[in-house]
Amino acid sequence: MAEPVGFFTDTTVCIGCKACQVACHQWNALPAGHGPAPDTPDGMRQHGYQVSSPDTGRIPLPVLSGNSYDNTGSFSDVNWRHVKFIEEFSPDRSEAAWLMMSDVCKHCVRAPCLEVCPTGAIMRTEFDTVYIQEPACNGCRDCVSACPFGVIHMSERKGVAQKCTFCYDRLRHGLPPACAQACPTESIKFGPLNQLKKAAHQRVAQLHRVGQTRAYLYGDDETILGGLNSFYLLVDKPQVYGLPTNPKVPSRSVIGSTFWSIFTGLMVTLGVLFQFRRRTEAPATQPPSVEEGRP
Amino acid sequence: MNFFVADPEWGVWIIAYFYLGGIAAGSYFLAMLIEWFGSPEDQDLAKIAYWIAFPLVVLCALFLTIDLNRPERFWHMLLKSEVTKAAFAEGFPFSVAGWRLALHAPAFKYWSPMSAGSWGLSVFGACAFASFLATVWPNRRPGRWLSARGPHRVLQFLGCAAGFFVASYTGAVFSATNQPMWSDTVWLAPLFLASAASTSLAALGLIAWWKDLGTPEARDRLEGAEVLALGLELVVVGGFVASLGDNLLPVLQTVRGNILVFGALLVAVLLPLLLHARVGHRRWWGVPGAAACALLGGLLLRYGAVTTPSELLRRGPSTLVSFAPEEGRRVGERGADIGNPGEEVKPRSKLEPES
Repeated sequence: MAEPVGFFTDTTVCIGCKACQVACHQWNALPAGHGPAPDTPDGMRQHGYQVSSPDTGRIPLPVLSGNSYDNTGSFSDVNWRHVKFIEEFSPDRSEAAWLMMSDVCKHCVRAPCLEVCPTGAIMRTEFDTVYIQEPACNGCRDCVSACPFGVIHMSERKGVAQKCTFCYDRLRHGLPPACAQACPTESIKFGPLNQLKKAAHQRVAQLHRVGQTRAYLYGDDETILGGLNSFYLLVDKPQVYGLPTNPKVPSRSVIGSTFWSIFTGLMVTLGVLFQFRRRTEAPATQPPSVEEGRP
Repeated sequence: MNFFVADPEWGVWIIAYFYLGGIAAGSYFLAMLIEWFGSPEDQDLAKIAYWIAFPLVVLCALFLTIDLNRPERFWHMLLKSEVTKAAFAEGFPFSVAGWRLALHAPAFKYWSPMSAGSWGLSVFGACAFASFLATVWPNRRPGRWLSARGPHRVLQFLGCAAGFFVASYTGAVFSATNQPMWSDTVWLAPLFLASAASTSLAALGLIAWWKDLGTPEARDRLEGAEVLALGLELVVVGGFVASLGDNLLPVLQTVRGNILVFGALLVAVLLPLLLHARVGHRRWWGVPGAAACALLGGLLLRYGAVTTPSELLRRGPSTLVSFAPEEGRRVGERGADIGNPGEEVKPRSKLEPES
């Protein structure tokens, strides 16, 4: 089996250039926005998309969201990477700063999507990454509800779940994922997990030495879903970056649900039995009539 | 609560499935109990319950399939598609290699409520179908064989266990997610089970009253059982609300959260109890009124439970602060432009030239 690999994203050196998003779109042939395939301009017109060139059927980029330079807003079926622009203000609001972060599927060690998938379409690869086999997915959307990071979305065109593949095809040929290769500042680092974790701890120590004491790692240890194969260096609380503080392994609630269901089921059974138990009772004796009671 | 998740967009088909699935499972269970422990005059009610269960379970399977984004792949819930195709490619069922592969084809994950539920629904559907046949045609061949004592008992045991599972696993599917509210409680499964009991008793009572089936004594027993089921549902609703803890407040800030909590409490439980106990007691509209309320309340409960998280997500806290200046906002307020604190931001007309 190949060595487990992962991403270490150092958000302190992310400049929000979106080269990773572009590389992801290019390599995986993802359309620029939602809607029909680029080769169907008629379909695009029907859905209200403005076709920039009817000959080529190119879709113009989505309009700006109005929330800073984040023009995709979130993950989607065609945005497997999402560069976040997070504005922070000082308490007196005289100063502002941007936190930037290139977010992606975390390829969790105890992946909730993989755990709940009823069809077996979601599998773990030999690289310890999590992969959706499109031909097996039937679009039940259980993985969408289970993912604590909002990564998985349904493709309207294909009708199946979509997310980062960790460029499985590139890994098979010894190439790094497209996003990591395109990142100009090496904010997205790719490599064997052990090496990445060592480098991440060194980077945190370096930042602490120069006074950035808020720097810490998110997802490098087992506390979050057994560990995240794509982990992050952050300088603020996880929720500021749109990351949950305590995501849940779905199966954790199954035992509690089962126990209380059995208890409720027993109560229902007893209640109905209490009402319909008559057959087992002896027929009530008739009170003696006045005539019979006479000596 | 985790507000960083995506909405699975489970809607009307899932609500209908949860509702009718609960009534179907509850009816089957009631039929078995009435048949075993009821008096001879109760047996008409047992028949009605079997007649209800099978058509409803067929509808449930249909709704679940329609809800899939790829309905033609519904069978992937039960069989691993790639293994099944490989088994047929190897010559299944006419070759040993094909059979070897086919043995690995079932897709069953006991730790995934949706996977286990798919099998549960299949088993329950088969049992409901067999019991339906045995009840509708007791003197013809498949029905006669199925209504024989031995096979009938096995069928009932299996169907009851699967029915119980079908009535409650739907709540466990919700709890086994990371959606707000669903993942914050383990009481959805017992809540759905208790509601399945009360709605199936209500449905049976309503049909018995409408068609004048069963003896008055049998109908009284049914009413008594419904009162007990409503009492249990009241306790479980209390447990559900208590289990939400601090998350109750955000739930009650949503319209659908209110429908879930108060719909379940008032329409599904308290109003029917009131009708049974005081207002409608011994009046002709008491029983049908209480049954109609319980049925409507059960539907409201499912609607609220299924749709509350999507409303919570829409209202969820945003981590982004708008950078665009807006009219009426002052510098320093959320959404205002950066400038000197206290300075009012003047809206600029698009046509106004910059000075």
